[in-house]
Amino acid sequence: MAEDMSIESYLAAGGVLTNPSNVPPRYRAELMKLMTTFVDSELAGAAGFADVINAGPGIKERIAAAKIVLEKTDNADKVLKIMGEFGVDGDRYANHHPWTARLDRDADIGASRTRQDMRLAVFNYPLAGWADAVVMNLLMGRAVAVQMAEFSMVSYQPLAEAFRAIAPVEARHAELAEEGVEKLLETEDKAGLQASVDYWWPRVAASFGSAASDKAETLKTMGLRKTANADLKARWEAETKAILEKLGLKAG
Amino acid sequence: MARFHDLEVTDIQKTIRDAVVVTLKPVNGAAEEFDFTQGQYLTFRQDFDGEELRRSYSICAGKDDGILQVGIKRVDGGAFSTWANEELKVGDTVQAMPPMGGFFTALDAGNEKNYLGFAGGSGITPVLSILKTTLAREPNSTFTLVYANKGVNTIMFREELEDLKNTYMGRFNVIHVLETDAQEIDLFTGLVTEEKCAQLFNTGWIDISSIDTAFICGPEPMMLGIAAALRTAGLDDAQIKFELFASSQPGRAKRKAVSKDAASGANQTTAAITLDGSTQTVEMAKDITILDAALDNKMDAPYACKAGVCSTCRCRVLEGEVDMVANHALEDYEVEKGYVLSCQSYPVTDNVVVDFDQ
Repeated sequence: MAEDMSIESYLAAGGVLTNPSNVPPRYRAELMKLMTTFVDSELAGAAGFADVINAGPGIKERIAAAKIVLEKTDNADKVLKIMGEFGVDGDRYANHHPWTARLDRDADIGASRTRQDMRLAVFNYPLAGWADAVVMNLLMGRAVAVQMAEFSMVSYQPLAEAFRAIAPVEARHAELAEEGVEKLLETEDKAGLQASVDYWWPRVAASFGSAASDKAETLKTMGLRKTANADLKARWEAETKAILEKLGLKAG
Repeated sequence: MARFHDLEVTDIQKTIRDAVVVTLKPVNGAAEEFDFTQGQYLTFRQDFDGEELRRSYSICAGKDDGILQVGIKRVDGGAFSTWANEELKVGDTVQAMPPMGGFFTALDAGNEKNYLGFAGGSGITPVLSILKTTLAREPNSTFTLVYANKGVNTIMFREELEDLKNTYMGRFNVIHVLETDAQEIDLFTGLVTEEKCAQLFNTGWIDISSIDTAFICGPEPMMLGIAAALRTAGLDDAQIKFELFASSQPGRAKRKAVSKDAASGANQTTAAITLDGSTQTVEMAKDITILDAALDNKMDAPYACKAGVCSTCRCRVLEGEVDMVANHALEDYEVEKGYVLSCQSYPVTDNVVVDFDQ
């Protein structure tokens, strides 16, 4: 059984890695980037949503919002624990950045990130009140569902398992948002909700990254990606459009 | 962050010619930290000629054995495993981090599951821990082990497995597949490949349709072949658990960072930066970081937090000297080997050579 195989060809053939001791340096770096992107996005998302809990119109809504904040923070912690096995000090990491910080609502940063953290660009925009937060959560929640399906297959087994545990929790957040929008439509002005959809649609769409990414091939051979950005985005667009139409809203 | 603890060696047994089973006892009240889950591993550290080596070995004891035990097979040219096999003795103290790893599934006494384990050579250690614990704690579950070895005399834990077969008659089955020794059944000779697995499934030796979870621990090609066969047979990724301790574990550090041209007046440094196999030589000011210099020169250098906490931007200094102003992620042994966080490192010497690929 002693036949040798390089880690690189093992990964390219679909192999999985299971602990930090076998992880090659460049793989480690890309894996860390993937994990920090997720953790930063969850922490920034939770922090932003925490601010709108009190804007919830009723106690049910506030409970749902608080639950989302709790669970997103918990999801960040799950991945932070895996980063800990690579030497990251999780406690310090969780506090190294002001996660509530946001840019202006009309800042134009495309898909680029700020230089201080790895959150997806979409989490740099501020929420404008309760209804806006619910709409954002619906669109982004659907995007997370698509991303989770993709990342549940990454070649680093502990992370794939974490994402498999996280996926249903995040899916529930999108469902809560859908229920929330439905409820809002009973009382709120439809135009206001549509304006939020129009605002968030291109920003969430941009979070899937550029269509032609040079990185894609490298990540594919490492087993850290399977599907092209454009395909993931198309899946999100189709699924989310159907939900919006059911609600009587229009995709951006 | 996980810390190292002292453990006392209370017993050493040879299982085969070049493998030992080491029993360990945590000292200084660290026993609780070493309460493991079946299938987990310990990471040891040991100094060799002033250089620290770290190696991970799976726990082979079951949860109900009441002891902490690892199996260490000697690898050709492996400093740690040779030392453990030849020099380590009862009464010695070794250092290890608390158990880590997720090579297990949750057990429940009410489960009626069928598990399938594949082990290649010393890959038996975590699988043994899993099967012993599972058989003891899930009285209605079964476990089938496919165990690949070179020949009869290289089978680790052979007698122990026979004993388990008798203890758990009807619930535990072992299929030995031997590479070189001929057996009565042709199917049991050779390597455990994708084809071999498919044959085991198709000929009824393993009822793959009844399997809930499969565990695989062995060398890379074997893991790939078995996983492919399991997927073809209908198992999904969540049902297949892997543990890989690659044969190509990074060896000893070859080069140390040397500082030369330490004296300098100007504020400029020539930095040779290697990333993804290509090296770019850039002129940079001494007041910008190695990472920013790489990014400014259109190199796609890895980074995330830029605050010295996440270690995504780790690189290795091969020549010259840099000043790392903050480090909350790298451990002393990594720093000794020349690793730095490029987001926190400013060049000190007029020439530096750094590598993101090491």
